[in-house]
Amino acid sequence: MVQLTRDDLKKVQPKIKAGQQYVKVGMSTCGIAAGAQEVFELFTKEIKQHDLNVVVTKTGCLGMCHAEPLVEVSVEGLPSVIYGRVNGEVAHRIIEEHVCGKRLVNDHIFDLPIRR
Amino acid sequence: MEKPIIFIKDTSLTGDSSREIQTQLLKVAREKGIEDLQVIRVADLGIYDKGVALKICSLDIIYVNVKLSDAEKIIQTTIKEGTPIEDLLLENQAMQTRIVLRNCGIVDPESIDDYISRSGYASVGKCLFDMTPETVIEEMKKSGLRGRGGAGFPTWMKWNLARGSFGDEKYVICNADEGDPGAYMDRSVLEGDPHSVIEGMIIAGYAIGASKGFAYIRAEYPLAIERVQKAIDQAYEKGLLGKDILGSKFSFDLEIRLGAGAFVCGEETALIASIEGKRGTPKPRPPYPSDRGLWDKPTIINNVETLANIAVIFQKGAEWFATIGTDKSKGTKVFAVTGKVKNSGLVEIAMGTPLRDIVFQISGGCFVPENKMIAVQTGGPSGGVIPEKNFDTPVSYEHLIELGSIMGSGGMIVMDEDDCLVDISKFYLKFCVDESCGKCAPCRIGGYQMLAILEKITAGKGTLEDITSIKRIAQGMQKASLCALGQTAPNPVMSTLRYFESEYLDHIEKKKCRAGKCTKLLKFTIVPEKCKKCRLCVTNCPVNAISGDREKGYTIDQEKCIKCGRCFDVCKFEAIARA
Repeated sequence: MVQLTRDDLKKVQPKIKAGQQYVKVGMSTCGIAAGAQEVFELFTKEIKQHDLNVVVTKTGCLGMCHAEPLVEVSVEGLPSVIYGRVNGEVAHRIIEEHVCGKRLVNDHIFDLPIRR
Repeated sequence: MEKPIIFIKDTSLTGDSSREIQTQLLKVAREKGIEDLQVIRVADLGIYDKGVALKICSLDIIYVNVKLSDAEKIIQTTIKEGTPIEDLLLENQAMQTRIVLRNCGIVDPESIDDYISRSGYASVGKCLFDMTPETVIEEMKKSGLRGRGGAGFPTWMKWNLARGSFGDEKYVICNADEGDPGAYMDRSVLEGDPHSVIEGMIIAGYAIGASKGFAYIRAEYPLAIERVQKAIDQAYEKGLLGKDILGSKFSFDLEIRLGAGAFVCGEETALIASIEGKRGTPKPRPPYPSDRGLWDKPTIINNVETLANIAVIFQKGAEWFATIGTDKSKGTKVFAVTGKVKNSGLVEIAMGTPLRDIVFQISGGCFVPENKMIAVQTGGPSGGVIPEKNFDTPVSYEHLIELGSIMGSGGMIVMDEDDCLVDISKFYLKFCVDESCGKCAPCRIGGYQMLAILEKITAGKGTLEDITSIKRIAQGMQKASLCALGQTAPNPVMSTLRYFESEYLDHIEKKKCRAGKCTKLLKFTIVPEKCKKCRLCVTNCPVNAISGDREKGYTIDQEKCIKCGRCFDVCKFEAIARA
């Protein structure tokens, strides 16, 4: 056990550092029910295979339950986008076209106007 | 500079002209020497029924009703020169405001570092070192936060009462016994951002002087339990729970208690009994839990969503929080929008947003675009129905009560013209009858009798006196039931009677169900003039109730018919009559 102090809190680094490329898979009950576990494993496998500098991580529910499984992708030079209804085929396309080819994938992006 | 990217989506219900505009935009861009422009067709932009919509990502500009002829101008003015085109800009779009769901879908719920790096637990630090319990409660009072479990009791007042009560031990309970049909906001918060709830509980504990907390989570949420347990372990590991939090003098312990799956255990006195290991039945109040709660010690019980709000209030200030929402209802509310709606999911809006914006703009309107939306149901089995004509009402505790419904914990079920309101209210009442603990007579007997009357009406055997009886029973239940379950159980029936009495009268007098949901009132027949004798209904009937031959035509045997409506759905010539 470590006893954090108030000042220590400010030094804690997030799992994904600024500028790091990432793939976040929505893995709440709604996502898992729609097949997010498979998608998560597929991304992990493919990224290892292609030897890409991309972190794959799980996250909670984004709220667009009608479009699960949701995957957020952020790679250098492109804005981070959210893909919905991701299955094996779409996941392959994301890796090939978006992560490797730096071109967003048509017809699968779900964009939400949210104020945070 | 970021590469220019345009999202394109045809949001109209008829046809899709996005491909042509996509090609045109790319063509014009190439002519003007912009080679790296990406025009991407997207699945959803959160905008509905506004023609072709474009989003210029780098500038965060949204254009609507874009025509093919606009392509030239958009590329020249917006992409090359960076200025927006006023005529095409999207106006008055309802937006979600995310406070409770601020981290959901962003942080890894199983990583405490992710949460801390987004200013997590900073509010605990602020409260423990810079504030006294009194000033914490004062700040909560300024924020105007009210309980998100449904009733809307001011949170600061609850805390203040518990602080004022004498006890050698006090308790904080997180109520995560979410049971309303169709509601799952709390589950999503617990699964997506468990630390925000833990942080809220620590602050609540500090404010009332408690050193022990319980998270009462229903056993049907295994993933939520797993993630909360992991979060608690991590918080202990980092010294954020347990003895001397962050090196201060304050200690707080937290553990999970599992709900046994009874709806009534969401009621605070029943919940306390359940934690104590007794049968989950409510007790008369007073004494209130803030006076004598868990093991007769002063206790506060806050809903998951209420607790998730607390860290933000101390992080950004009560003044900031109080600017969001209406006069008496501050902050935001998360709704789980389900039913006959295009985008079912979680919607967090600032209080005061009209219902119409939630169901039409944010959730995209009816699932079947041709159908007319008739009502939404809020507040689950304790709430009521709000008809379409009142959709412009702003969402707040007061306004929804005025309409005969309640805010509730956040379930919002959308109904269209294919839903029968009598059937819906029967469903909710049945739920309450099943879940009634049976302790008090008004709820146990009243609910059962009212349900029997509704069964009678939907079977076509109702009389006009039945409506009077329903109203009398409802009055009795509302006045004499022990807890809110019984007091509010008649609400769905009463509110449908208030707005849709004609539907009840149709069932009683004309023996008709407009939506065709009450199967006992239905009769399917074949119209010989329209029948092309294709036998599609014959092959589709699951009980072989349709007989005949190509020469004499076909008939439905009413004795055998189970009124499933299969023949009605499959017939391509509208030759099946439903009456």
